Amino acid sequence: MAICPAGHDSAAADYCDLCGIRMGSQVMAPVAPGPGMSSAPDFAHSPGTPCPRCGESGFARFCESCGYPLDESTGQQPTVAADSGLVLSPCAGEDRAASTRATTWTAVVTASRIHYDSVIAAAGPDASQVRFPDDCPERRFALAGSQVRIGRRSVTKEVVPEIDLTGPPADPGISRLHAILVSQPDGLWSVIDPGSANGTTVNDVEIMPGETVQLGDGDRIGIGAWTLITIVAHPSYVEGNLRNGDLRG
Amino acid sequence: MSAPEFSVEIFQNEYLASEAREVSVVVSVASEGLPVHAATATGAAEIIIVDCSGSMSAPQAKMLEARDATAAAIDAIRDGVAFAVVAGSHIARSLYPAKDSMAIASPETRADAKRTLRFLRPEGGTAMGSWLRLAHKIFTTRDDVLRHAILLTDGMNQSESVSALDSALELCTGVFSCDCRGVGSDWKVEELRRISTALLGTVDIVPDATGLAADFEAMMTASMAKEVADIKLRVWTPQHAAVRFVKQVAPTIEDLTNRRTQVGPQARDYPTGAWGADESRDYHIRVDVQPAAVGQEMLAARVSLVQDSDAGPLTLGQGLVKAIWTDDEELSTKINRHVASYSAQTELARAIQDGLEARKKGDVEAAETLLGRAVGLARESGNEQSGRLLSNVVDFDEESGTARLKAKIVEGDAMALDTRSTKTVRVKNKPVDGAGQEVSSGQ
Repeated sequence: MAICPAGHDSAAADYCDLCGIRMGSQVMAPVAPGPGMSSAPDFAHSPGTPCPRCGESGFARFCESCGYPLDESTGQQPTVAADSGLVLSPCAGEDRAASTRATTWTAVVTASRIHYDSVIAAAGPDASQVRFPDDCPERRFALAGSQVRIGRRSVTKEVVPEIDLTGPPADPGISRLHAILVSQPDGLWSVIDPGSANGTTVNDVEIMPGETVQLGDGDRIGIGAWTLITIVAHPSYVEGNLRNGDLRG
Repeated sequence: MSAPEFSVEIFQNEYLASEAREVSVVVSVASEGLPVHAATATGAAEIIIVDCSGSMSAPQAKMLEARDATAAAIDAIRDGVAFAVVAGSHIARSLYPAKDSMAIASPETRADAKRTLRFLRPEGGTAMGSWLRLAHKIFTTRDDVLRHAILLTDGMNQSESVSALDSALELCTGVFSCDCRGVGSDWKVEELRRISTALLGTVDIVPDATGLAADFEAMMTASMAKEVADIKLRVWTPQHAAVRFVKQVAPTIEDLTNRRTQVGPQARDYPTGAWGADESRDYHIRVDVQPAAVGQEMLAARVSLVQDSDAGPLTLGQGLVKAIWTDDEELSTKINRHVASYSAQTELARAIQDGLEARKKGDVEAAETLLGRAVGLARESGNEQSGRLLSNVVDFDEESGTARLKAKIVEGDAMALDTRSTKTVRVKNKPVDGAGQEVSSGQ
């Protein structure tokens, strides 16, 4: 039995049986985002009013166009990187600090027959025109930054939510900006539905628009006709930041 | 008996950008050095299931051609192989040999079997689930290792419920494989595809019954060449990784993602069925791994071919899928040619099937958009067969890059396009650096 660079016992001599790290290599420290790297998505927005980020007219707590938090309690204006025109999240500094946290969170997106059946049952015969997808590979998104938007990308507004559920398969019940996951100071995440057309459930219970619902490991967010997002916590040796765009193929 | 061997070749760009987690790979598997066949030792069994529902009488030649095709298939069965013929309508019955049993192929039994084919008379409905159940019953009277069926139909499964067919498929999955053929254009592609997919077989259209005999003989010959059964593709991944999909992509596209059997906390098996000598197949696998630091090398997946034996699972071949994180965008942004081609061909099949589905529903606009996209994808990926079949169904306007459904479409052409949409073309290796890992060469 050999011991891998990360300290796991491994019967295989080439790569660790547990973590896959090459035996005999050096484990390198995970990278923190360097200068110029932002966890905020790189959209060319010009700050203005009422949304300081993209200029769309206001919603109670989040801009429906780009998801920028309008909550005054944040008390911060977005900063614009001088050379790139990128808008940095007001919390970009905190993001870096977050990479030392012990727990990372992942949103696991699946097609749920149970959610679909309950939506069809609640919405009546019209909804039954939406078919349950034959083929829906699981999608995983690491949660990072101060907020993660869930929705479908808009070509015209050039908005790509971090959790982009455009598909295929496309769930027609999902709004452009359907829900927002917000990171809390204690390292947990909560979800807010900013006023989607078809609503959002948490563990099968419908939540109110604008209501902040705290999430724990294994909680299930139901949106659209069949989309189920399970929030999973895992202790981590590497902090994974969300990449811009989606993780689908 | 010596164990068979498989070569496993990996095609991927192993370089990932910092923080990236998506590893996409084409695994090319070829059988080599399979044991010399000993018919009786291996234990092969064949059942031919022939539709003899009422519709087989129109035109009258159809039943006659089906008889000839069955005879041709019987002639291709090797001596010593167990076989039977089942006649299917709204019920299933043994045509040869006596009730619910199998005969051992020899010149005498083959001649006997062919003589009974004149009792194939068109009458009654169509209940394919009951045909498969009878085949299952007959196969399981013996313990042959290689069990294969051919199913011929000309109609829709209208004499039983969808769930009856589903439960029959559940019963038969893993017990025998089944190639399906639809003759004419009154059958439903998705019905036969359901059967062939569940039972790891092929599906095709025989537009004209005169082509049946050659096709049956070819199918039987291919089946006779199979030498090892129940080979599994095992995918090991590191901790915190997830297998997003496993698809066979050559010679045809078959999604195996939901066919997995977990065999430990970090490994799953996917069925590949039976293999013949010098056969090769490609698989497209996508794994998400936990990102490591730039410069780190990780094994993203260990892909092996596994066969169960009395002494436990035997590994018959293995390939390593790697991930190396880099800051060099030139390295990380390259897409491997094999991965790109099969991704496009998978999308092509999907666009064709969705486009034909839209056409069936009367949504011309969606059908033309999807099939127009398919024309582009067929060209991009060099899939000439799909391109040709598409041109029977749509006219493509080069100038505007849009497709229009033909005013008059022969139904058989649309069905041929549908059934053959999953047939892919292989990516040619570059003559000079034939090694798959283009990106890593010269490093």
